[in-house]
Amino acid sequence: MSGIAQKLASNQKQVAISEFFEKNKHFLGFDSPVRSLITAVKEAVDNSLDACEEARILPSIKVKVTKIDTKKDIIELVCEDNGPGIPQKSIEKVFGQLLFGSRFHAIRQSRGQQGIGITGVVMYSQLTTGKPTHVKSKIATESTAAVVDIGLDTRKNKATKSNSGRELWQLDNGEMKKHGLEVTTRMKAKYQKGRQSVWQYLRMTSIVNPHAEITFTDPDGEIHHWPRVTERLPGKVESIKPHPHGIELGQLQRMLTESTDSRLSVFLRTNFSGVSTRAAKELCAAAELDVKVKPKQMSPDQIRSLLEAFQGEKMFNGKPVKLLNPPTNCLSPIEEMLIKKGLSKTIDSRYATTMTRAPNVSQGNPYQVEVGLIFGGDMAGDKAVEVLRFANRVPLMYQQGGCLLTKAIESVDWRQYGLDQAGGKGVPKGPAAILVHLASTNVQFTSEAKEALADNGEVMEEVRKAMLEMGRGLRKHLEKKKKMAKTKEKFELINDILPAIAAKSAQILDKPIPDLAGSITKIMSAVICETSTEWNKETKTADVSIKIYNYTARARAYTMLATWPEKSGASMINNQTGGRKEATGVWAWKLETLQPGENITISYSLDGLEKGDWTETDVFYRGSQEIIGAMKMDEKYLEEIRNQEKILNELNSVNESQDSVEMESVAPTKIIEQPPIPEPAVKPPTGQSTLFGGDQ
Amino acid sequence: MSGRMTAEQTKSAMQLVVSEMYDKIVKGEPPTMTLPVRTKNNIGFDRKLGVYKYGKNKSIRDATSLGSAKQLLRALHIIEFIEDMIDSGKSSTLREMYYISESWGLGKFGSQNESNNLAEDLEIVTKCLREDFKLRPEEDGARIIGNLTLQERNRRGEWMRINARDDVGDSGYGVPYNVETEKIEFLEHDINFLMAIETGGMFDRLVENGFDEDFKCGLLHLKGQPARSTRRIIKRMSEEWDLPVVVFLDGDPWSFRIFASIAYGAIKTAHISEYLATPSATYLGITSDDIVAYDLPSDDLSKKDIEALNAELSDPRFADSWWQDQINMMLELGKKAEQQSLAKYGLDFVTDTYLPEKLSELGLA
Repeated sequence: MSGIAQKLASNQKQVAISEFFEKNKHFLGFDSPVRSLITAVKEAVDNSLDACEEARILPSIKVKVTKIDTKKDIIELVCEDNGPGIPQKSIEKVFGQLLFGSRFHAIRQSRGQQGIGITGVVMYSQLTTGKPTHVKSKIATESTAAVVDIGLDTRKNKATKSNSGRELWQLDNGEMKKHGLEVTTRMKAKYQKGRQSVWQYLRMTSIVNPHAEITFTDPDGEIHHWPRVTERLPGKVESIKPHPHGIELGQLQRMLTESTDSRLSVFLRTNFSGVSTRAAKELCAAAELDVKVKPKQMSPDQIRSLLEAFQGEKMFNGKPVKLLNPPTNCLSPIEEMLIKKGLSKTIDSRYATTMTRAPNVSQGNPYQVEVGLIFGGDMAGDKAVEVLRFANRVPLMYQQGGCLLTKAIESVDWRQYGLDQAGGKGVPKGPAAILVHLASTNVQFTSEAKEALADNGEVMEEVRKAMLEMGRGLRKHLEKKKKMAKTKEKFELINDILPAIAAKSAQILDKPIPDLAGSITKIMSAVICETSTEWNKETKTADVSIKIYNYTARARAYTMLATWPEKSGASMINNQTGGRKEATGVWAWKLETLQPGENITISYSLDGLEKGDWTETDVFYRGSQEIIGAMKMDEKYLEEIRNQEKILNELNSVNESQDSVEMESVAPTKIIEQPPIPEPAVKPPTGQSTLFGGDQ
Repeated sequence: MSGRMTAEQTKSAMQLVVSEMYDKIVKGEPPTMTLPVRTKNNIGFDRKLGVYKYGKNKSIRDATSLGSAKQLLRALHIIEFIEDMIDSGKSSTLREMYYISESWGLGKFGSQNESNNLAEDLEIVTKCLREDFKLRPEEDGARIIGNLTLQERNRRGEWMRINARDDVGDSGYGVPYNVETEKIEFLEHDINFLMAIETGGMFDRLVENGFDEDFKCGLLHLKGQPARSTRRIIKRMSEEWDLPVVVFLDGDPWSFRIFASIAYGAIKTAHISEYLATPSATYLGITSDDIVAYDLPSDDLSKKDIEALNAELSDPRFADSWWQDQINMMLELGKKAEQQSLAKYGLDFVTDTYLPEKLSELGLA
């Protein structure tokens, strides 16, 4: 993570910036005119999003690309936001000094782990056009905006500042801008359309930032607008201390050197997450170090020994020292419902499913996987599905093939879920797009270019599991669609055609119209379920109706189950049929026996949702006779839900016991009731997570 | 040949179809319509009639699927429509019926093909002819040139005497859709045989070359897959004038099928084969051997051609060894040839060389 930081810090003094830049432009993202523009947009937009998030402002971002000189490939880029703005005295530091800011020290999920930030853009512009970058910044407490041109003195390796002053910032509608930042820069760059373009970058950004409004004016003057689809800001992410399982030697050395603690045990307890007083003592014992050793004075051998104790190579009482998991509230998932909205606003499709897995920990680093799949609509059916990869809400646009996220998609046999896939390998084909988001405090990339995630077995398995579950959802959807079409036909048959046949034949023969009940039962000879999920404008609820008809010659008894967005904070109201909670997001109703020819309707409303949040209800049944229009309850499906519940519960209790950080209401860690069915006895008696520790 | 039905017979035959549906509903069953299977697997040679007819395989169309149920409802509407026409002394074309079905609500047709097929279904089930149903086709009838004389009753109800050589222009005598005795009577002829020709270009070539006079024959243009009336008039001439019939077609799998429909009966109309088919007709050419023997310019068989040939191998109408040889040979050659490919050797080659040679094999030249 700190590779570039160190490199830059150590090189800064000796090497001229221009030389450094030239040498490292491939991983700084400025290796081609096309990519340079995307990188510049990315740095500016990431800064805006991060700034808005910190200031709790709903971001409105405008990006404009203009061709200045097509022969020499000179482009002007203007990025404007409505963020808090930067105080005048800090502008120079933010834009002119490498590594300004605190992001490399704190451990938390942040966008800005990639590249060297906006400074790189200033450098690139200066080096390719000789022009400084114009910055306009207004903070809420001042009446005018600060303006300044920031350039770089490549010989002195220092930022230069010119034309600084103050001016009024008036908007197009005549009003004064309250706060925000505008960056105008000219650089050698090329604008291109397609999968790797500014347009695609902004589109992807908009998907994973549903709270942001993004407007893009391309060089042809065409305006692309991605609206805000939620007023909810992402949960505030908390910084956490490093976890012993995720620390490297260099970092440990630095921490020890900088420590003012007088005892190693205190140092361990206060500088790391997951280390209790007991664990601190045990770590010292395992490393064969005295708890009273002064951290600052430890020898390289002692440090190495401590690291080995961290990694479980040196043991305590024959076992690696048991550590608590780090808290996961430092992660900021987008959440299922919002991913669905983000996807749906950018891609027109018939079916969308999304899933946020419970947070997990790999090598001391909390991470969380989110996936989404949309299907149908206008998407091409004969091409590879679009893969949308994200790390900490940042789109990954290059090196798709070498990325862990792609590999996880490729590891699934999608044919069984209704997509084409040659030989069951590779990226599947079909009218679909698959989204994968990895949120983590420490995203491991394959290279400094930071475009592909490095292999990690645990993360891979987590993504794969999510893919399989989405695949099952897609298959269910396709099967349901097919069955619904069939059911619709059957209803048309018995409601319209059969009565017409009876009436017409009676008329021709001049006989009375016969009774149809017998024929209907024979024709249908099935139990049929019709489900509708409709948005009710007046009550602002999603109204669900599940109607079951028994068109067989025998009495039938069922338990019906339906999915509902409990995790997203919906509540079930007006549920006349009662029933009980089966698992998180699954309600169950045990129905009275249905006599032949009878039908029954379950109806309820879902409150606390917005329009479009919930458009399809999955209905399941338990019972012997198949129900057309509902799925037989797959107990594995319930089991998976309960597993996730369990993990959430455990993580939650870890987070609570360890430190009492205030949780945002949107964090996915609220306490969930235990499901009514007893858990298998795989839980360790301490109630701690088994993700690492003694059991492995 | 099945006799023509009276209006009452036609109506009661249709009532039976309606009763089948009605009675099923009364019994608490899905309504049904029973009809013969209309595929090549259910046609067999009728020794008495000398043509191919439907076998005993019946299919039951029942209202358990939406498609079938709609077919039943449409059948009821057609029956009602036909009864009305019989009662009011009107007739309509199949196309008119298709448009009239627009007002049948749920029973309306999706395409004219559907309405044509259902009319055929009803013919088969009731053993009536569509003429009994007062339904007319818009099929393009044949044209004939040659020294033969017939009389046709015109719109005013008067008989018109027509000689198909002297009283017609270059396009010949146009065969009407109804060729039954109430419409057409054969009077006299001075020809030795009737030659049915697939393409208009070849028909015109033979006319221009005066082939009908040189070889004392009647020339008949089939216009592709021949209409019912075309097949019926060939059948009547063959029987009533005791004329040999030779059929001159392209050399491809589809021509084989045209010939089969003329000589043995078509699969779609196997219920009235004895009324339409001319078992004594002979396939003159283009044969598979001709392609080789005359070294004719040819085209490669398409995938569809090959599929058609393979299907013909298992078609009972092509079960004899001559046809099996012809089909297999074409498959081996991988080639097909058009009638007009004979023009490779000049415009007169067909009339001076090819046809005389082929006809002499049959003792007709």
